[in-house]
Amino acid sequence: MSVEEVACRPALEEDEPTVLVVEDEVLIRLMVADALRAQGINVIEASNGEEAMRVLQSALPVQLLLTDVRMPSALDGLALAHAARAERPDLKLIMATSQRADDELAGLADAFFSKPYELNAIVGRVKSLLAQTHHARRRR
Amino acid sequence: MPDGAAESAELAGTILVVEDEVLIRLVIAEYLRECGYRVIEAANADEALLVLSKSELAIDVVFTDVEMPGSMDGFALAQWSRSNRPDIDVILAGSVGRAVQAASELCDAGNNVPKPYDPKGIHDRIRRLLASRRQSKRDLQSKLESASHGGPVR
Repeated sequence: MSVEEVACRPALEEDEPTVLVVEDEVLIRLMVADALRAQGINVIEASNGEEAMRVLQSALPVQLLLTDVRMPSALDGLALAHAARAERPDLKLIMATSQRADDELAGLADAFFSKPYELNAIVGRVKSLLAQTHHARRRR
Repeated sequence: MPDGAAESAELAGTILVVEDEVLIRLVIAEYLRECGYRVIEAANADEALLVLSKSELAIDVVFTDVEMPGSMDGFALAQWSRSNRPDIDVILAGSVGRAVQAASELCDAGNNVPKPYDPKGIHDRIRRLLASRRQSKRDLQSKLESASHGGPVR
């Protein structure tokens, strides 16, 4: 099975909402992913911006991107947000930052969260944004 | 849901999937979740070591790619696990058949699978491995109970 073949396989159900979680700290990524999966939300995990773009450039259905702003590779959260918006204009975007959100972030994201993550608040916001994308798809 | 999902749900365990290619990792991880396992994903060996250092995560099986960039490849991760967490089984996956074969001594006999991955084959392998582990635990428990009742310990 080549990478291309894998990317074409529908690993996740198209009808179910899917969130791409991008976080370079594995234990934090796991905690967030577990909290979302516990609510019945499909989660794809990416450990950096480059992995996230591999997912977004594939045929996999993703409705929402939840990303840390500070990440060590060249494609940090801000660069990823710009690239993701260009790749998938309808994508909902939540960004998590330990610093104050500046104007550039404010113009990009649908929601911000400060770190450390407050899981209940994030899960609630993810669900409300996914509900918006669900309604938008139904109207089409 | 894949074949055998109900059975494996009864035997549910926690699998740490270590794979640096995100599109392969997510397919394997989702398949194993559909089979009823709890799956933790690591993008490289460094992440895997962080997960393995948390005993509360109770990993049963490490499923790792052989070839990975970074400070440690799948062989080295298997060796570390063998030395530091002998309670955990390791499955090595790789396309370098002879090297995998040579490294299989690091793992329990036969626990290597070729790439490209066959998700059902992986599931069957993990199911058999966990069933075997549970049988071993039952055997040990039974011996300990015999010993506590003054019976012979074989």
